[in-house]
Amino acid sequence: MIGRLGLFSAMLISMAVVTPAQADKLDDIIASGKLRCAVVLDFPPMGSRDEKNTPIGYDVDTCNDLAAALGVKPEYVETPFPDRIPALTSGRADVGVASTSDTLKRAQTIGFSIPYFAFKMVVLTKKGIGIDSYASLKGRKTGSVSGTFEAIALEKDVKKWNDPKGSFRAYQTQADVFLALAQGQIEATVVTSTVAAATVKGGKFKDLQVGKDAPYDIDYVGLIALRQDYGFLNYLNLFVHLQTRTGRAQELYQKWIGGTMPDLTVKGVYR
Amino acid sequence: MMDGSDFGLQELLLMLKGAGVTLSITFWAVLGGTLMGLVFGLVRSVAPWWINWPLGGLLDVFRSVPLLIQLVLVNSFKSIIGLNASAFVVSCVVLAFYTSSYCSEIVRAGVQAVPQTTRRAARSLGLTYWQDLREIVFPIALRVSLPSWTGLTLGVMKDSALVLWIGVIELLRTSQVIITRIQEPLLVLSVCGLIYFVISYPISRLGTRLEARWRDLD
Amino acid sequence: MNYTFHWYQAFRALPEMLVGALVTIEVAVLSMVIGIAAGILLALGRNSKNKLLYGVSTAWVEGARNTPALFQIYMAYFGLGSLGIFVDSFPALLIGISFNNAGYLAETFRGGLRAVPPTQMRAARSLGMSAPKAFRLVVLPQLFRTVFHPLMNQMVWAILMTSLGVVVGVNIDLTGVTQELNVRTFRTFEYFAMAAVIYYVITKLVTLSARAAASRLFRY
Repeated sequence: MIGRLGLFSAMLISMAVVTPAQADKLDDIIASGKLRCAVVLDFPPMGSRDEKNTPIGYDVDTCNDLAAALGVKPEYVETPFPDRIPALTSGRADVGVASTSDTLKRAQTIGFSIPYFAFKMVVLTKKGIGIDSYASLKGRKTGSVSGTFEAIALEKDVKKWNDPKGSFRAYQTQADVFLALAQGQIEATVVTSTVAAATVKGGKFKDLQVGKDAPYDIDYVGLIALRQDYGFLNYLNLFVHLQTRTGRAQELYQKWIGGTMPDLTVKGVYR
Repeated sequence: MMDGSDFGLQELLLMLKGAGVTLSITFWAVLGGTLMGLVFGLVRSVAPWWINWPLGGLLDVFRSVPLLIQLVLVNSFKSIIGLNASAFVVSCVVLAFYTSSYCSEIVRAGVQAVPQTTRRAARSLGLTYWQDLREIVFPIALRVSLPSWTGLTLGVMKDSALVLWIGVIELLRTSQVIITRIQEPLLVLSVCGLIYFVISYPISRLGTRLEARWRDLD
Repeated sequence: MNYTFHWYQAFRALPEMLVGALVTIEVAVLSMVIGIAAGILLALGRNSKNKLLYGVSTAWVEGARNTPALFQIYMAYFGLGSLGIFVDSFPALLIGISFNNAGYLAETFRGGLRAVPPTQMRAARSLGMSAPKAFRLVVLPQLFRTVFHPLMNQMVWAILMTSLGVVVGVNIDLTGVTQELNVRTFRTFEYFAMAAVIYYVITKLVTLSARAAASRLFRY
């Protein structure tokens, strides 16, 4: 009798220990009651702070929508650009709603949803120093945010041009890049057309001027989550799809940028 | 934008909140670090070489690797093993070990500052080993160590600025956030520096004055 | 645990990191040279009767010792920039660390000067030496012996402080290189662990060679 009782309790204990080893991230978020989004808050209009220092922006609103869909409260984890993926992998955030370009290199570490936004890149410089087109960046002091899509492309081109007067410097946040540009430590940078427009309009930096487009591919960005959270990534894909289908994405685009949302599909490829 | 500064009461309050986080991290780090440092220091002053050397070597690592690297390593390691601790906790833990490493040296120096003759005299008067430690060594060692310990505490408070790298919103990071919005780096940084100074200077002066007073008493 | 270590990939970056380590040592040595020179001047300034000299030196020393090094570096980079003085990342790091070094070393030198009894100077003068000669041959060696250990400590701190450069965009020192590698591949643990080992080796080399030098120099 003792033998059978012992066996039964061992079975119960082993079930309790062995069974829920891999709880789904989606369940974890719903159970915890809060969604921690990594957001970039020095990147208007996708993410910035208002006069009360509360986070606002397209990404912030998207995070709010996602939290509402899950029935939980949103919590913003502010991350400068290079810190988005580390925040995910170190468990500080559940999802990254942070304009993250979907590169294959990053996909080795984290999982991307389908694109939820698309950017085109422009040159941002100061008035009066004679920079306009992308080609005129040759031989100039340039800089960008460490590890971003545009930084990697710009640094490659600066190395290719190999001009002794040209240089590329990587900064740790987007805000530092703007500050460096305003103070003259760099002469130009390449940023998304949206943040260029927002920064010039914001008026905080004197004499900034938007140049011509940069010859990069369209920068599609997705939501990011941990690579192995398949259930959660599937959910995010449906979420992004429905944002467009219900017109919510266009509504947010009109609110923060104005005009028509760029097409998020790529012709000729299924997915 | 020349009609006065955007830096108002709200920004100041935000910075004071950041200062609160700085002080909070300092408090926990110094508390944990001092307790561990006491243990390590006592062990190191009485232990034989085969405990002393490895322990000393291990503690030395905390003083020989930049704090920034230690923070990133521990933060990254804790997520690798799946531990769910916040960046704040990681900061306190790393700073506590860092503090304990310096504190153990301070404790050791303090204990060794008590002359052997005094301690032997105490034992020959009939005090037990622990009574000797408690009544004779402790007060003398405390007086010798207090100025260094104060210096260490202030050092930890200043080093706590590094935790911004792993995502903790303390005073310096709060200043960066405000600068991003209102673009007045010199003003915001000056206020930030002033806050650090106001926290640190009085305690540092107190420490120096105590040290001078006790030095003159000897 | 769902993380696989990619040590092989990390070791391939070792040469790059060692080049960064050389830059780290360069910055540290340079900042110490500047720091010692400025520190001596500040120590003299703090001992002087001139109100202006005393005020400026005290402001520098107390400012350097009561604010974080990271703050000083950040201030050198962005604070000076808004005054119109454009400082690049590397010079900003150097200025920040040197400013910090000078502040702490000033106090070290002041204590050292106090530790040499004034009788030494008087005895040397009474033997017929001029003041500078007496200072050079009698006071300075004794001063050097007193401050050697704190100086060595400050050197180690200078090496560790160079890691802060990455916050203002320095990407050529050891931490800067490590962060660049980290940002491209996200193999944080592997790269930073290697960096930690390299820093440990550097500081140990400095401490051991300083101790060896001390035993030769201070034999008497």
